[in-house]
Amino acid sequence: MADNLISLDRLKAFWHSQVHHEQTRAHNMKLLRAAGLFAGSILLMRNYGDLMAI
Amino acid sequence: MAGLVPPGTTTIPADASKAAHTKAEEKTDYMNLPCPIPFEELHREALMSLKPETFEGLRFDFTKGLNQKFSLSHSVFMGPTELPSQSAETIKIPTAHYEFGANFIDPNLMLIGRMLTDGRLNARVKWDLTDNLSVKANAQLTNEPHMSHGMVNFDYKGKDYRSQLQIGNGSLFGASYIQSVTPHLSLAGEIFWTGQHLKSGIGYAARYETDKMVAAGQVASTGMVALSYVQKVSEKVSLASDFMYNYMIGDVTASVGYDYILRQCRLRGKIDSNGCTAAYLEERLNMGLNFILSAEIDHKKKDYKFGFGLTVG
Repeated sequence: MADNLISLDRLKAFWHSQVHHEQTRAHNMKLLRAAGLFAGSILLMRNYGDLMAI
Repeated sequence: MAGLVPPGTTTIPADASKAAHTKAEEKTDYMNLPCPIPFEELHREALMSLKPETFEGLRFDFTKGLNQKFSLSHSVFMGPTELPSQSAETIKIPTAHYEFGANFIDPNLMLIGRMLTDGRLNARVKWDLTDNLSVKANAQLTNEPHMSHGMVNFDYKGKDYRSQLQIGNGSLFGASYIQSVTPHLSLAGEIFWTGQHLKSGIGYAARYETDKMVAAGQVASTGMVALSYVQKVSEKVSLASDFMYNYMIGDVTASVGYDYILRQCRLRGKIDSNGCTAAYLEERLNMGLNFILSAEIDHKKKDYKFGFGLTVG
Protein backbone atom coordinates (compact mmCIF):
# COMPACT_ATOMS: atom_id res chain seq x y z
CA MET A 1 0.00 0.00 0.00
CA ALA A 2 2.85 2.42 0.86
CA ASP A 3 4.61 1.61 -2.42
CA ASN A 4 1.48 2.49 -4.40
CA LEU A 5 1.19 5.84 -2.60
CA ILE A 6 4.81 6.67 -3.38
CA SER A 7 4.40 5.90 -7.06
CA LEU A 8 1.12 7.83 -7.11
CA ASP A 9 2.94 10.86 -5.70
CA ARG A 10 5.58 10.48 -8.34
CA LEU A 11 2.93 10.32 -11.01
CA LYS A 12 1.26 13.43 -9.67
CA ALA A 13 4.58 15.27 -9.55
CA PHE A 14 5.31 14.21 -13.11
CA TRP A 15 1.85 15.30 -14.26
CA HIS A 16 2.27 18.70 -12.58
CA SER A 17 5.72 19.19 -14.10
CA GLN A 18 4.44 18.38 -17.56
CA VAL A 19 1.06 20.10 -17.53
CA HIS A 20 1.26 22.98 -15.08
CA HIS A 21 4.83 24.09 -15.63
CA GLU A 22 4.77 26.83 -18.26
CA GLN A 23 7.79 25.85 -20.35
CA THR A 24 7.17 22.10 -20.52
CA ARG A 25 3.50 22.75 -21.21
CA ALA A 26 4.35 24.89 -24.21
CA HIS A 27 6.76 22.23 -25.49
CA ASN A 28 4.21 19.45 -24.95
CA MET A 29 1.51 21.41 -26.75
CA LYS A 30 3.85 21.89 -29.70
CA LEU A 31 4.64 18.17 -29.71
CA LEU A 32 0.97 17.21 -29.48
CA ARG A 33 0.05 19.60 -32.30
CA ALA A 34 2.75 18.17 -34.58
CA ALA A 35 1.93 14.54 -33.71
CA GLY A 36 -1.79 15.22 -34.16
CA LEU A 37 -1.19 16.84 -37.54
CA PHE A 38 0.95 13.90 -38.65
CA ALA A 39 -1.43 11.18 -37.45
CA GLY A 40 -4.55 13.02 -38.57
CA SER A 41 -3.14 13.67 -42.01
CA ILE A 42 -2.26 9.99 -42.45
CA LEU A 43 -5.80 8.95 -41.47
CA LEU A 44 -7.30 11.47 -43.89
CA MET A 45 -4.94 10.48 -46.69
CA ARG A 46 -5.68 6.78 -46.33
CA ASN A 47 -9.44 7.19 -46.08
CA TYR A 48 -10.20 10.16 -48.32
CA GLY A 49 -7.06 10.52 -50.43
CA ASP A 50 -8.86 9.33 -53.58
CA LEU A 51 -10.96 12.49 -53.52
CA MET A 52 -7.82 14.46 -54.42
CA ALA A 53 -7.18 12.45 -57.60
CA ILE A 54 -7.60 14.03 -61.02
CA MET B 1 -16.94 -51.44 -53.17
CA ALA B 2 -16.17 -49.78 -49.84
CA GLY B 3 -12.94 -48.39 -51.27
CA LEU B 4 -14.66 -46.63 -54.13
CA VAL B 5 -15.03 -42.89 -53.61
CA PRO B 6 -17.96 -41.09 -55.19
CA PRO B 7 -16.72 -38.75 -57.96
CA GLY B 8 -16.43 -35.02 -57.16
CA THR B 9 -16.04 -35.26 -53.38
CA THR B 10 -12.28 -35.04 -53.00
CA THR B 11 -11.20 -33.14 -56.17
CA ILE B 12 -10.13 -29.50 -55.54
CA PRO B 13 -11.23 -26.90 -58.15
CA ALA B 14 -8.32 -26.18 -60.54
CA ASP B 15 -8.16 -22.36 -60.12
CA ALA B 16 -8.23 -22.47 -56.29
CA SER B 17 -5.31 -24.87 -56.21
CA LYS B 18 -3.37 -22.59 -58.63
CA ALA B 19 -4.07 -19.54 -56.40
CA ALA B 20 -2.91 -21.43 -53.32
CA HIS B 21 0.27 -22.51 -55.11
CA THR B 22 1.01 -18.93 -56.29
CA LYS B 23 0.39 -17.58 -52.78
CA ALA B 24 2.78 -20.17 -51.36
CA GLU B 25 5.43 -19.14 -53.90
CA GLU B 26 4.99 -15.42 -53.07
CA LYS B 27 5.18 -16.15 -49.35
CA THR B 28 8.37 -18.17 -49.31
CA ASP B 29 10.54 -16.48 -51.94
CA TYR B 30 12.91 -14.80 -49.43
CA MET B 31 15.92 -15.63 -51.59
CA ASN B 32 14.77 -13.26 -54.30
CA LEU B 33 14.01 -10.06 -52.45
CA PRO B 34 14.31 -6.76 -54.33
CA CYS B 35 17.33 -4.53 -53.80
CA PRO B 36 16.39 -1.70 -51.43
CA ILE B 37 16.90 1.99 -52.16
CA PRO B 38 20.07 3.68 -50.84
CA PHE B 39 20.02 4.66 -47.16
CA GLU B 40 20.26 8.40 -47.86
CA GLU B 41 17.11 8.15 -50.04
CA LEU B 42 14.98 6.63 -47.31
CA HIS B 43 12.59 9.58 -47.23
CA ARG B 44 12.97 10.30 -50.95
CA GLU B 45 9.31 10.53 -51.91
CA ALA B 46 8.40 12.68 -48.92
CA LEU B 47 11.35 15.02 -49.49
CA MET B 48 10.49 15.40 -53.18
CA SER B 49 6.94 16.41 -52.33
CA LEU B 50 7.46 18.42 -49.14
CA LYS B 51 10.82 20.08 -49.65
CA PRO B 52 10.87 21.87 -53.00
CA GLU B 53 13.74 24.34 -53.46
CA THR B 54 11.85 27.48 -52.53
CA PHE B 55 13.74 30.72 -53.01
CA GLU B 56 13.23 34.45 -52.72
CA GLY B 57 13.99 36.81 -55.56
CA LEU B 58 14.86 36.20 -59.17
CA ARG B 59 16.40 33.06 -60.56
CA PHE B 60 17.48 32.40 -64.11
CA ASP B 61 19.11 29.14 -65.27
CA PHE B 62 20.35 28.47 -68.75
CA THR B 63 21.78 25.08 -69.76
CA LYS B 64 23.44 24.62 -73.12
CA GLY B 65 24.31 21.14 -74.32
CA LEU B 66 27.50 21.10 -76.36
CA ASN B 67 27.24 17.44 -77.22
CA GLN B 68 25.50 14.34 -75.92
CA LYS B 69 27.62 14.14 -72.80
CA PHE B 70 28.87 17.63 -72.09
CA SER B 71 26.88 20.75 -71.19
CA LEU B 72 27.48 24.18 -69.72
CA SER B 73 25.13 26.09 -67.43
CA HIS B 74 24.77 29.73 -66.50
CA SER B 75 22.73 30.75 -63.46
CA VAL B 76 21.87 34.18 -62.14
CA PHE B 77 20.34 34.80 -58.75
CA MET B 78 19.24 38.13 -57.29
CA GLY B 79 17.49 38.37 -53.97
CA PRO B 80 17.81 38.46 -50.22
CA THR B 81 19.72 35.69 -48.48
CA GLU B 82 18.84 34.72 -44.95
CA LEU B 83 21.60 34.83 -42.34
CA PRO B 84 21.50 32.41 -39.41
CA SER B 85 20.56 34.33 -36.28
CA GLN B 86 20.06 33.38 -32.65
CA SER B 87 17.05 35.63 -32.17
CA ALA B 88 13.55 34.94 -33.49
CA GLU B 89 13.91 37.74 -36.06
CA THR B 90 15.12 36.83 -39.53
CA ILE B 91 18.06 38.79 -40.89
CA LYS B 92 18.38 39.08 -44.64
CA ILE B 93 21.02 40.69 -46.80
CA PRO B 94 20.54 41.41 -50.49
CA THR B 95 22.83 39.34 -52.69
CA ALA B 96 23.36 38.78 -56.37
CA HIS B 97 25.58 36.17 -57.91
CA TYR B 98 26.34 34.42 -61.15
CA GLU B 99 27.19 30.75 -61.26
CA PHE B 100 29.01 29.02 -64.10
CA GLY B 101 28.62 25.27 -64.38
CA ALA B 102 30.02 22.43 -66.42
CA ASN B 103 28.49 18.95 -66.56
CA PHE B 104 29.84 15.74 -68.01
CA ILE B 105 27.32 12.89 -67.94
CA ASP B 106 28.23 9.43 -69.09
CA PRO B 107 26.48 6.13 -68.19
CA ASN B 108 29.35 5.30 -65.80
CA LEU B 109 30.76 8.70 -64.92
CA MET B 110 29.17 11.95 -63.90
CA LEU B 111 31.17 15.15 -63.25
CA ILE B 112 29.47 18.34 -62.15
CA GLY B 113 31.23 21.59 -61.30
CA ARG B 114 29.85 24.98 -60.29
CA MET B 115 31.82 28.19 -59.80
CA LEU B 116 30.27 31.24 -58.17
CA THR B 117 31.29 34.89 -58.41
CA ASP B 118 31.96 35.03 -54.66
CA GLY B 119 34.77 32.50 -55.09
CA ARG B 120 32.93 29.34 -54.04
CA LEU B 121 33.41 26.10 -55.97
CA ASN B 122 31.08 23.10 -55.77
CA ALA B 123 32.14 19.83 -57.35
CA ARG B 124 30.47 16.42 -57.55
CA VAL B 125 31.73 13.15 -58.98
CA LYS B 126 29.85 9.89 -59.38
CA TRP B 127 31.81 6.99 -60.82
CA ASP B 128 30.38 3.48 -61.32
CA LEU B 129 33.48 1.31 -61.07
CA THR B 130 31.51 -1.90 -61.61
CA ASP B 131 27.81 -2.80 -61.74
CA ASN B 132 27.79 -3.09 -57.95
CA LEU B 133 30.44 -0.67 -56.74
CA SER B 134 30.30 3.08 -57.17
CA VAL B 135 32.26 6.00 -55.77
CA LYS B 136 30.73 9.39 -55.07
CA ALA B 137 32.63 12.49 -54.03
CA ASN B 138 31.58 16.05 -53.40
CA ALA B 139 33.44 19.14 -52.33
CA GLN B 140 32.64 22.76 -51.46
CA LEU B 141 35.68 25.01 -51.56
CA THR B 142 35.71 28.64 -50.41
CA ASN B 143 38.22 31.41 -49.85
CA GLU B 144 37.37 31.59 -46.15
CA PRO B 145 39.70 29.47 -44.00
CA HIS B 146 38.26 26.31 -42.40
CA MET B 147 35.02 26.60 -44.37
CA SER B 148 35.84 24.12 -47.15
CA HIS B 149 34.35 20.62 -47.02
CA GLY B 150 34.86 17.39 -48.88
CA MET B 151 33.37 13.91 -48.68
CA VAL B 152 33.85 10.56 -50.43
CA ASN B 153 31.29 7.72 -50.41
CA PHE B 154 31.86 4.13 -51.45
CA ASP B 155 28.59 2.35 -52.24
CA TYR B 156 28.23 -1.38 -52.70
CA LYS B 157 24.98 -2.84 -54.05
CA GLY B 158 24.29 -6.45 -53.21
CA LYS B 159 21.42 -8.72 -54.29
CA ASP B 160 19.04 -7.58 -51.57
CA TYR B 161 21.16 -5.13 -49.60
CA ARG B 162 23.24 -2.00 -49.94
CA SER B 163 26.15 -0.77 -47.87
CA GLN B 164 27.97 2.54 -47.83
CA LEU B 165 31.19 3.85 -46.36
CA GLN B 166 31.64 7.58 -45.97
CA ILE B 167 34.84 9.54 -45.32
CA GLY B 168 34.83 13.30 -44.92
CA ASN B 169 37.21 16.04 -43.94
CA GLY B 170 37.40 16.87 -40.27
CA SER B 171 37.90 13.13 -39.62
CA LEU B 172 34.32 12.26 -40.39
CA PHE B 173 33.67 8.52 -40.83
CA GLY B 174 30.31 6.94 -41.43
CA ALA B 175 28.85 3.63 -42.55
CA SER B 176 25.34 2.50 -43.33
CA TYR B 177 23.66 -0.75 -44.27
CA ILE B 178 20.16 -1.43 -45.58
CA GLN B 179 18.65 -4.90 -46.06
CA SER B 180 15.40 -6.05 -47.64
CA VAL B 181 13.65 -8.23 -45.10
CA THR B 182 10.41 -8.87 -47.00
CA PRO B 183 9.36 -7.79 -50.51
CA HIS B 184 7.93 -4.61 -48.98
CA LEU B 185 9.99 -3.98 -45.83
CA SER B 186 13.63 -3.00 -45.52
CA LEU B 187 15.59 -2.28 -42.35
CA ALA B 188 18.71 -0.18 -42.03
CA GLY B 189 21.34 0.97 -39.60
CA GLU B 190 24.05 3.62 -39.63
CA ILE B 191 26.98 4.72 -37.49
CA PHE B 192 29.18 7.78 -37.68
CA TRP B 193 32.14 9.26 -35.85
CA THR B 194 33.61 12.74 -36.12
CA GLY B 195 37.17 13.29 -34.96
CA GLN B 196 36.92 17.07 -34.99
CA HIS B 197 34.04 17.32 -32.50
CA LEU B 198 34.70 13.93 -30.90
CA LYS B 199 31.12 12.82 -31.42
CA SER B 200 29.71 9.50 -32.49
CA GLY B 201 26.23 8.28 -33.18
CA ILE B 202 24.17 5.32 -34.23
CA GLY B 203 20.84 5.24 -36.01
CA TYR B 204 18.19 2.78 -37.16
CA ALA B 205 15.66 3.07 -39.93
CA ALA B 206 12.84 1.14 -41.55
CA ARG B 207 10.95 1.59 -44.77
CA TYR B 208 7.72 -0.08 -45.85
CA GLU B 209 6.67 0.36 -49.45
CA THR B 210 3.72 -0.85 -51.51
CA ASP B 211 2.26 0.30 -54.83
CA LYS B 212 -0.03 2.71 -53.01
CA MET B 213 2.08 4.07 -50.15
CA VAL B 214 5.53 4.50 -48.66
CA ALA B 215 6.16 4.78 -44.93
CA ALA B 216 9.61 5.38 -43.48
CA GLY B 217 10.93 5.95 -39.99
CA GLN B 218 14.36 6.81 -38.63
CA VAL B 219 15.77 7.29 -35.13
CA ALA B 220 19.28 8.31 -34.21
CA SER B 221 21.25 8.70 -31.01
CA THR B 222 21.74 12.38 -31.86
CA GLY B 223 18.15 12.76 -30.70
CA MET B 224 16.52 12.79 -34.09
CA VAL B 225 13.25 11.02 -34.85
CA ALA B 226 12.00 11.32 -38.43
CA LEU B 227 8.83 9.70 -39.75
CA SER B 228 7.33 10.13 -43.19
CA TYR B 229 4.31 8.82 -45.04
CA VAL B 230 3.44 9.22 -48.72
CA GLN B 231 0.16 8.13 -50.28
CA LYS B 232 0.37 7.63 -54.04
CA VAL B 233 -3.19 8.57 -54.90
CA SER B 234 -2.62 8.22 -58.63
CA GLU B 235 0.20 8.47 -61.18
CA LYS B 236 -0.15 12.25 -61.14
CA VAL B 237 -0.99 12.92 -57.50
CA SER B 238 0.85 12.20 -54.25
CA LEU B 239 0.00 13.29 -50.73
CA ALA B 240 2.79 13.36 -48.17
CA SER B 241 3.24 13.95 -44.48
CA ASP B 242 6.32 14.05 -42.30
CA PHE B 243 7.25 14.41 -38.65
CA MET B 244 10.66 15.54 -37.40
CA TYR B 245 11.48 15.64 -33.69
CA ASN B 246 14.77 16.25 -31.95
CA TYR B 247 14.37 15.29 -28.31
CA MET B 248 17.75 16.75 -27.33
CA ILE B 249 16.93 20.22 -28.61
CA GLY B 250 13.16 19.90 -28.18
CA ASP B 251 12.37 21.04 -31.71
CA VAL B 252 9.41 19.43 -33.44
CA THR B 253 7.85 20.00 -36.86
CA ALA B 254 5.19 18.14 -38.80
CA SER B 255 4.19 19.03 -42.33
CA VAL B 256 1.53 17.90 -44.77
CA GLY B 257 1.66 18.50 -48.48
CA TYR B 258 0.63 17.54 -51.97
CA ASP B 259 2.42 17.01 -55.27
CA TYR B 260 0.58 17.25 -58.56
CA ILE B 261 2.63 16.20 -61.60
CA LEU B 262 0.64 17.23 -64.67
CA ARG B 263 1.55 17.38 -68.34
CA GLN B 264 2.33 21.09 -68.45
CA CYS B 265 3.21 21.79 -64.84
CA ARG B 266 4.22 20.46 -61.46
CA LEU B 267 2.59 21.97 -58.38
CA ARG B 268 3.70 21.29 -54.80
CA GLY B 269 2.32 22.79 -51.66
CA LYS B 270 2.61 22.20 -47.94
CA ILE B 271 1.65 23.48 -44.54
CA ASP B 272 3.45 22.72 -41.30
CA SER B 273 2.73 22.71 -37.59
CA ASN B 274 4.59 26.03 -37.10
CA GLY B 275 2.04 27.74 -39.32
CA CYS B 276 4.36 28.10 -42.30
CA THR B 277 2.85 27.46 -45.75
CA ALA B 278 4.79 27.05 -48.98
CA ALA B 279 4.01 26.44 -52.63
CA TYR B 280 6.16 25.79 -55.67
CA LEU B 281 5.02 25.81 -59.28
CA GLU B 282 7.02 24.78 -62.35
CA GLU B 283 5.16 25.54 -65.55
CA ARG B 284 6.38 24.29 -68.90
CA LEU B 285 5.81 27.18 -71.27
CA ASN B 286 7.50 25.57 -74.23
CA MET B 287 9.97 22.78 -74.97
CA GLY B 288 12.95 23.44 -72.68
CA LEU B 289 11.45 26.62 -71.21
CA ASN B 290 10.12 26.45 -67.66
CA PHE B 291 8.62 29.20 -65.56
CA ILE B 292 8.97 28.89 -61.78
CA LEU B 293 6.98 30.51 -58.99
CA SER B 294 7.90 30.02 -55.35
CA ALA B 295 6.18 31.23 -52.20
CA GLU B 296 6.79 30.67 -48.50
CA ILE B 297 4.78 32.46 -45.83
CA ASP B 298 5.54 32.34 -42.11
CA HIS B 299 3.06 34.52 -40.26
CA LYS B 300 4.60 33.81 -36.87
CA LYS B 301 8.04 35.12 -37.79
CA LYS B 302 6.56 37.67 -40.23
CA ASP B 303 8.80 36.22 -42.95
CA TYR B 304 7.35 36.35 -46.46
CA LYS B 305 9.33 34.96 -49.37
CA PHE B 306 8.23 35.18 -52.96
CA GLY B 307 10.35 34.24 -55.91
CA PHE B 308 10.07 33.83 -59.63
CA GLY B 309 12.39 32.40 -62.22
CA LEU B 310 12.96 30.95 -65.62
CA THR B 311 14.94 27.87 -66.64
CA VAL B 312 16.03 27.31 -70.21
CA GLY B 313 17.38 24.02 -71.47
